[in-house]
Amino acid sequence: MKTLTLISIILLAASFSGLQPLNAQTTGHEVMEKVYHNPTGDDMQSELTMTLINARGERRTRELKQFIKTEDDVEKKIMFFLSPADVRNTSFMNFSYTDGSDDDQWIYLPALRRVRRISSDDKSDYFMGSDFTYDDLGERHPNEDEHVLIKEETIDGHDCYVVESTPKDSSYMYSKTVTWVMKDSYLGLKREFYDRNGDLLKVLSIKEFDQIDGFWTILETEMHNVQRNHRTVMSIKDVEYNTGIPDSQFTERMMTRGL
Amino acid sequence: MKKTNRNKNLKIAAFAAVILIFIATALFAKVLAENARMETNLDEYMPRDHPAFIYSDQAEEWFNIKDGILIAVEHRESIYNPSTLEKIKQISIGLIEMPQFEEADVMSLYTADNIIGSEYDLVVTSFYTEVPGTKEGLEKLRKDVRDNEMVFERIVSGDEKAGLIIAGMDSDAFTQEFYNDIMDFAYSFANGEENIYVAGRPIVEGTMALLGPADMKRMVPVVLLVIAIVLYALLRSLRASIATLLGVFISTVWAFGLMAALGIPIYSVTTMIPVMLIAIGVAYGIYFYNHLGRYKLDNRDTTDLQALKYTLKILWKPLSMAAFTTMVGFLSLLSSQVYPIKYFGTFTAFGIFTAFVLAMIFLPAAVILLGFSPPKKARKSNSSGLLSILNRLTDRLLKNKRRVYIVTSVIIIISIAGLTRVWINSSFLDNFEKDSDIVQTDAFVNEKFGGTSSLNVILESGNEDAFKDPDILKLIDRMQTEATKLPEVGNSFSLADYLKRMNKVMNTDDEAYFTIPESREMVAQYLLLYEMSGDPENLDQVVNYHYDRANVTFQLKGDDSRTINAALAVIEKFTDDFGKHDVKINFAGSGYKALVFTSLILEGQVMSIGISLILVFILLSILFRSIKAGLIGAVPITITALISFGVMGILNIPLSTTTALLSSIAIGIGIDYAIHFIQHYRMNLQKSATGVKALYTTMGQTGKAILYNAVVVISGFLVLLFSVFPPNRTLGALVSMNMFTSLAGTLSVMMILLFTFRVFRSETLNQNNK
Repeated sequence: MKTLTLISIILLAASFSGLQPLNAQTTGHEVMEKVYHNPTGDDMQSELTMTLINARGERRTRELKQFIKTEDDVEKKIMFFLSPADVRNTSFMNFSYTDGSDDDQWIYLPALRRVRRISSDDKSDYFMGSDFTYDDLGERHPNEDEHVLIKEETIDGHDCYVVESTPKDSSYMYSKTVTWVMKDSYLGLKREFYDRNGDLLKVLSIKEFDQIDGFWTILETEMHNVQRNHRTVMSIKDVEYNTGIPDSQFTERMMTRGL
Repeated sequence: MKKTNRNKNLKIAAFAAVILIFIATALFAKVLAENARMETNLDEYMPRDHPAFIYSDQAEEWFNIKDGILIAVEHRESIYNPSTLEKIKQISIGLIEMPQFEEADVMSLYTADNIIGSEYDLVVTSFYTEVPGTKEGLEKLRKDVRDNEMVFERIVSGDEKAGLIIAGMDSDAFTQEFYNDIMDFAYSFANGEENIYVAGRPIVEGTMALLGPADMKRMVPVVLLVIAIVLYALLRSLRASIATLLGVFISTVWAFGLMAALGIPIYSVTTMIPVMLIAIGVAYGIYFYNHLGRYKLDNRDTTDLQALKYTLKILWKPLSMAAFTTMVGFLSLLSSQVYPIKYFGTFTAFGIFTAFVLAMIFLPAAVILLGFSPPKKARKSNSSGLLSILNRLTDRLLKNKRRVYIVTSVIIIISIAGLTRVWINSSFLDNFEKDSDIVQTDAFVNEKFGGTSSLNVILESGNEDAFKDPDILKLIDRMQTEATKLPEVGNSFSLADYLKRMNKVMNTDDEAYFTIPESREMVAQYLLLYEMSGDPENLDQVVNYHYDRANVTFQLKGDDSRTINAALAVIEKFTDDFGKHDVKINFAGSGYKALVFTSLILEGQVMSIGISLILVFILLSILFRSIKAGLIGAVPITITALISFGVMGILNIPLSTTTALLSSIAIGIGIDYAIHFIQHYRMNLQKSATGVKALYTTMGQTGKAILYNAVVVISGFLVLLFSVFPPNRTLGALVSMNMFTSLAGTLSVMMILLFTFRVFRSETLNQNNK
C-alpha cells in the first residue's frame, strides 16, 4: 500500500510505453496497470495548498511543505504546516508500507513540544477534514479490483479510456469507481466514486497537470463530495523531483526542528 | 291561477337553488378530497420572515442542528453484556440505513468516537465495532465509557443500565408511515432482557399531529349526533334539524374546499373552523325556524310563503349585521404573524358568509320544497313554560339590577386577577396524559440522560478565529457549568468539551488538565490534531470553518416554556461578558422557536381581541346609529373573553395555539347573540307600547332562540370531555364555557343595560310623537 502521494492521487507520469497506442484488445486491467506503473521518481518535494470548501462556500485553507521519498517497501512522507499561523511548524510524518501493514504516523505539535504517534483505525477516514480518505490519497493496486473498459470518450479535448473498477472485497468503502484515463499520458483525468448503496458519492477532477522534470505531475485537483456538497482543492507548486532527499529528513528530530 | 303559477316558479327557483348549492358542495368536496393535505410539520406554522425564525433556521443549517429521535435500550442490571451491546449496534446500523437519517446524525455508543491518549500518542477510535466476547473485554469497555466524560451520562446512563441512540432528523421527513416504521423498528428490539423507549421531539410532535386530528375524527360524529338529537328535541322537526345540520355541513365543506382549491394545507388549528361553523350554523338555523314557527303559530291561516317572507324580512337585518360583524371579528386575525391563524380567521369568515347565504337561500328553499309544520300544542305548552321561565327571569333580573352589576363586577375582577396568571406554554409534551406512554418514556430518558429537549446557544464574533481564544472558550465553559447547575438542564456540549477532553488525554489523563488549554496555539494544534486523527465532521456541529461562530447545545429535561426560560435566564447573564470579547449570543432550535412562536400567538391574540372589540363597537354604533348600543353590545364579548382567559389563568390552563383561538370564537358567538338581541329589541320597541313590554317580548323570542342555540352547542361540545386527547377535552370545556358566558352575559347584564340606559327609546318616542 503506497499511501499519501498527494500528487499521485490517481496516477502520474508518462511512461514511454504509455505513448504507444494500445491495440484493439486493450482491457480495463491493462489500462489500470499502466496507470499504476507510471513512474513517480525517487523523491519529490513541493508546497501544497489544501482548501476545504463546505456547502456554504466557507473556506479553510492550509499551506504545507511536503517531502516524499519512495523506497522499495515503504513510502515516507513528511509535511510541515506553513499556515495558518497558529499551527505553523506543526509537522506530520507518515510511513506507508507496501506489504499492506498499517501506516505509522507521527505528529509534532509545537505548543506541546513533543512528537506523538497518532493512529486512525480506518483507511476510510478522511484526511485532515478533506474529502480525500487516506485510501484515496494512496495508489490502489490494480489487483484489488476487477476492471472493465466500458467505453472510450473525449473530455476537455483529451481522448480517454473509461474504466469501471469493482472491488473484489465487497466490504470496501466504495461499490465501484469509474476512471477516465488519458490515452496519451496514462494520467487519470477524472474519477467517480460510488458509495455502498451504488449512489454517486464523490467526483475527482484534475484541473491542471504538467510535465515536470520529465514526470507527469498533477498540479491541481478537486474532490467534490456530491452528497455533502463539500469540496477539497489541492494544488502544488515549486515541485522538484529527485533532489536526493536524505533518509535523515524523515525522523522525529526533523519533525521538531521545523522549517 | 296566477298565484299557483308564482308558486310553481318559486318551487322551480328553490329547486334550482338547492341543486346549485349541492353541485357547488360536491365540487368543493371533490377538490377537498383531491387536494387536502394535512400539515404535520410544525416548522410550517412558524412565520418564515420573523427575525428569530430566520436566525434559528440559518443556525440550524450552519451546525446541522436537528431534532433527535431518542431510542433508549434498558437492561435491568447493566448494558455491558453481549445482547444489549449488540442491540445498540444493530439499532445504530438500522437507523443509519434508513433514508431519513445521515450517518453523521446517528449518535450512540456504537458510533461515538473515543478520544484516548497518553504521553506518546493520541488515538481516536470507536468504543466497539464487534461486541466484546470476554468478561475482560466488557469490563474494559465499561471503563472506557466511565473515563470519557464526552459520552458517560450522555449516551450511557450514570447507573449503566441504559444506553441511548440519538438520531437527528429533518422535521419535514416525518410522516405517518415513518412514525410506524420507526416504532416497529425500535420495538422489534424489545425482547429478551431489554426494554426499549422511544422519545424525542419529532416523536412528540408527530404523535400530537396525528393523535389530535385522529381523536377529532372519532369525536366529531358523536358531537354531531348529540347536536342533532338536542336540536330535534328543541325544534321538534326532523326536516328543520336536518336542514340546519346540512347547512353546517355545507358551510364547512365550502370553507375547507376553498382552502384546498387555493392549495392551503390543513393545519391543526384549522380543525377549529368547524367548531365555529357548528356554533354559527346552528344559531342561524334556530333563529330561522324559531321565527318561522312562531309566525305560523300566531297566524294559523298563513301559507309557508307568507311565513317565509315575514321570517326573511325580520331576520335579514340582524342576521346580515351579525354575520358581517362576526366576519370582521375573524378577519382581525389577519393581524397575526402566524399564517395558520391568518388562514383560520380568513376561512372561518368565509364559512360564516356561507352559513349566512345558506340561511337566506338554502333554508327558505328547503321550506318551499318540503314545507314546514311548526311544533303544535304539546310543544306549545312546553315553550310557553319556557316563556314563563324567561319572563320570571327577566323580572328577577330587572328587580335585582344592582346585584347583577355587583356579581358581574366581581366576576370581572376575579377574571382580571386570573388573566395576570395566564401563561403561554410551548410544550408539546404537556398535551399528553401524565400516564401515557409518550410521557413515561420521556420521563425515563430525562431521568437517565441529559434531557429530551435541547436549546442551542449560538455565539458569533466579528473576528475570525475568535473561538480559538482561550479566554472566550473559558467563558463558554463557565456558561455551561452555570447553566447545568439548574435541575432542568441535564448537560451541555460545545467546542470546549472537545478541548478539555483532548487536553486531559494528552496529559496522561490527569484531571488537573481537564481545562481549556492556555494558549491559542495549543487550542489550534489540538483541533488540528483532532482533525487529523478523528472525524472532523463532528466539529462542524460545534464550530464553523472560520472559528467565528460556535454552537453550544444544552439538553433540557422539559420542553415547556418555564424550563426553557429558566435556562435562557442563566445564559443571558453572560451576554455582557461575551460582549466584552465582541461575541454576540443568539438562540436556535425547535424548542426556542416554539417559545417565540407561542409568544407571537399571544401577542397576535391580544392584538386581535383589541381590534375586534374596537371594530365591533364601531360597527354596532354605525349599524344601530347609537354609540350607547355599540358600547352595550360589546359588553357580552368583553365579559366572555375576560372570563375565558381568567378561567384559564385560575385553572392553570396555559395558552397554546388552540386555546388562544377560543377567545376569537367566544367573540364571534358573543357578537352574534348581542346583535340579534339588540336588533329584535329595537324592532319590538317600535311595535310595543312600553320599553318593558318590548324587553319581555325580546326575551321571549330572541332570548329563547339564543338559549336554544347555547344548549345545542354546549351539549355537543361537552361530548369532547370524553376525548382521549387532553387538548380536545380542554377545547370542549372552554367552548362550552364560552357559549354559556356569552348566553348569560347577553341575557343578563346586556339586557339590563340596554333597558336601563334607555337605548333606542328616545328616538322611538320621537318617531312615535311625529
